[in-house]
Amino acid sequence: MYCDALVLYLIHQFRGDRTISGIYHLLKGKKSSQSVQDSYLFHVKPFFHSCDDLDRHSFQTLVERLNVCGWIQSAGSEQMHFILSTEGERQLTRFDLNKLIPDGLCNTDQVNDEGNFWLKLQLSVQTISALQYHQSAFLPITRQPSVTESVRKRIMKASLNRDQLASQLHHELHQLLLPIPLTEADLFAAQLTGFRMTGLTTSQIADSTGKDPYECRILFKSALRRIMKEVAEHKATYPFIAGLMKQTASTLSLTAGETFHLLKEGLSLQQVAKRRNLSVSTIEDHLVEITLKERNFNSSDFLSHELEQQIVETANQLNTRQLKSIKNQLHDEISYLQIRLALAKNTVQKGSLLIGENEETSKR
Amino acid sequence: MVRMKKHRRDEWIHRAQTVLKEKFGHDQFRCGQQEIILDVLEGKDVFAMLPTGGGKSLCYQIPGYLLNGTVLIVSPLLSLMEDQVNALRSIGETNVRALNGLIHPHERSRVLAHLSELRFLFISPEMLRGSTIRAALAKITISLFVIDEAHCVSQWGHDFRPDYLHLAEIRTQFGHPPCLAVTATADERVREDIVRSLELHHVSQTLMSVDRANIALVVQRVATNDEKVDHLCHLLENTRLPGIIYCASRDWTERLADYVRRKLGLRVAYYHGGMDPVDRRKIQNQFLDSQLDLLCCTNAFGMGINKPDIRLIVHFHFPATMNAYLQEIGRASRDGKPGLAVVYYAKQDEQYPEGFIDGNFPDDEILHRSLSELDQGLLTIGNKEQFVSSLLERGVSESAARFIYEKVQNKPIHCTYLSIFDQCKAVINKRKAIQLQDLSVMRNYLTSTNCRRAFYLKVYHEHQPAQKPHNCCDRCGIEFSDFRQTESTNKNDTERHGQILDWKKRLQIIFKEGERADAPIRNKRV
Repeated sequence: MYCDALVLYLIHQFRGDRTISGIYHLLKGKKSSQSVQDSYLFHVKPFFHSCDDLDRHSFQTLVERLNVCGWIQSAGSEQMHFILSTEGERQLTRFDLNKLIPDGLCNTDQVNDEGNFWLKLQLSVQTISALQYHQSAFLPITRQPSVTESVRKRIMKASLNRDQLASQLHHELHQLLLPIPLTEADLFAAQLTGFRMTGLTTSQIADSTGKDPYECRILFKSALRRIMKEVAEHKATYPFIAGLMKQTASTLSLTAGETFHLLKEGLSLQQVAKRRNLSVSTIEDHLVEITLKERNFNSSDFLSHELEQQIVETANQLNTRQLKSIKNQLHDEISYLQIRLALAKNTVQKGSLLIGENEETSKR
Repeated sequence: MVRMKKHRRDEWIHRAQTVLKEKFGHDQFRCGQQEIILDVLEGKDVFAMLPTGGGKSLCYQIPGYLLNGTVLIVSPLLSLMEDQVNALRSIGETNVRALNGLIHPHERSRVLAHLSELRFLFISPEMLRGSTIRAALAKITISLFVIDEAHCVSQWGHDFRPDYLHLAEIRTQFGHPPCLAVTATADERVREDIVRSLELHHVSQTLMSVDRANIALVVQRVATNDEKVDHLCHLLENTRLPGIIYCASRDWTERLADYVRRKLGLRVAYYHGGMDPVDRRKIQNQFLDSQLDLLCCTNAFGMGINKPDIRLIVHFHFPATMNAYLQEIGRASRDGKPGLAVVYYAKQDEQYPEGFIDGNFPDDEILHRSLSELDQGLLTIGNKEQFVSSLLERGVSESAARFIYEKVQNKPIHCTYLSIFDQCKAVINKRKAIQLQDLSVMRNYLTSTNCRRAFYLKVYHEHQPAQKPHNCCDRCGIEFSDFRQTESTNKNDTERHGQILDWKKRLQIIFKEGERADAPIRNKRV
């Protein structure tokens, strides 16, 4: 089953360096710097935020099942840290890894905006369909004030009549769905709501297509990311939908972006923390995110070149990404922040963000 | 003088009936509505108790079209508010808005800027406590001050809302407009509380029976879960739908939905509070749009749901109070046609409501620890959400956390937090005793050997109706064949639309557009 392969693959990539919650947070796309960083460190960036509607209970049930099958085992003595058993390794090789990651999933440039964009798109479709059928009232797919407000603005700004609006949005969606794989296009459209035609949930789509819900989520995300990439690159071709997307290109979270701005002005970490009324450790989290995502960021103020080398060597020697083990091995003057920065920089320099380029995978 | 009054009353009746016909498309008022509306139109304070599905909203909607000014409706539940706004919009009313914690600040400003133009304004009790909003409302003419779900004002009620306690004072600030307090179910004790707390002097009371004669009542006793599922499947195969199946846990809603879909091939979905909000809304809309035959849900579903043709309500597990039970079965057949309510009762099901009652309150250890931590400064109150979430992190249940908040907030300044421990305990014991009492009434209903209807009417101190409905209850005997699915209720095309998976077809229907050529790109300015 797809979900087995998915979780086996992720456990394999995480190598027991994180608890099983780390994988759950990755799939959910938790906006903590830890999860963001993990997605780079373990070369699983496409999966970040790939199953954002996952609930913890069903994920746990799945992990327990893999454990009962004997495909995963505890990593050493640590609770909730898992690695693959030999049988698990064998199971994973039986699955075609290319099928695990549909192409579209790797378009992660707008991952911070995809949740919001999808809500806005669904609400726009629902609203315009209601207008087209002269339905004077409907229960909106979401009540999130920021979403309803921006859809309202978008529709007002278009200054088109009902027919034109419907025809424009239909046209844009049609052009966007045409080139993408049929399964993905169907899965995407089945979730859209119109007049007297409420969209299906992923679990309903799974039931009616016989697919596994995880695969449905991933295929849908692949479709969404293809669409967002296409729209971002050809804004003029898709004027209505482009207007629903966030304008800035940066993948930095809003709050990390603000910290980045202040650091560039020359403020120290402590000063930034004070100015923003946030704790220093939060600002440190931002720093790690900036190091991961902003290639031209110079981190030498926080980490000397020699220190960086030393940390990377130790990490490779121990073959781990666990901060505690690395810190124990090195002397105590080295801070956790420095270890995190060194690991972050190292991932970026290697530039290996996809599977296959990871040494662990190629060994198999 | 008397004649003048009579004359005016006749004129009001005439005008109210015109609005009923023109705006709402009904020919006749339902039982009790006309009397309530007339009292409201004459400027009296009114307390009205109408059963769930009895047409409460109409009692303030009609006066909205006949009185000058804005009808202000205080409503405690966001979903209820949304549904009511929606209902008014769908009859073409544009001057209706809602103010609650969920709306965007821009929307709030827009509403406040156009207050005097509104015919209906729905507001949450929390919002009413804000001084800016109150000042703005004090400037406009409020024709009627409506308190929906008025039982929330009573500490005896199961939904006590502390914010409701300020309503009398707020009403004075608005120039003391006439007040209409409505609720579906309130016993004598709660009714007295409402009238006193809202300061409704010389109030005109209309109490409609809680009885819904068109709903037949069945209690089916079973020994095991397997037996229960068998009975349920047999029932579903032979009964008119759509229907709702209430379960005590999220897990059960999913398991049942899955089983029933596989076994009977019905269009069934599950719904509970643990789902993604968008998925929840989708399922709700699918049910309202008749894309589903059956919904397996927890009691999270149903508030503000207005679907007149639900034919079957099943309780796979029984609820903790008679009140909740009547609320839930009251969602059946609001159009007046026959409906069926079946509850399955197994002895072991009693664990659910009992656990639920315990979970409503902190146990001694948690209460003691929370109070001491407050004294030591390890825990701070801040605002309600912060406090509740820091208790949740400590493993306290949400309702227990709310209970602690309610208590510590009112602590006398000079005392330590720990000093209110005994007082809290006393309140817990008292409230638990009430809830356990309610539960035992429910249990007695299930085990009663007499007429079910007679039983619950007695609970609400009502007299038996002169004539029993044709299909009353399992004790009096009912004809199950009267509820049988007929062939003519085949699903029509619109009901199947939801299932369309072909993306091109789906988009065409959504946008009401014909077959579209793939190639030409029409340039349009947006």
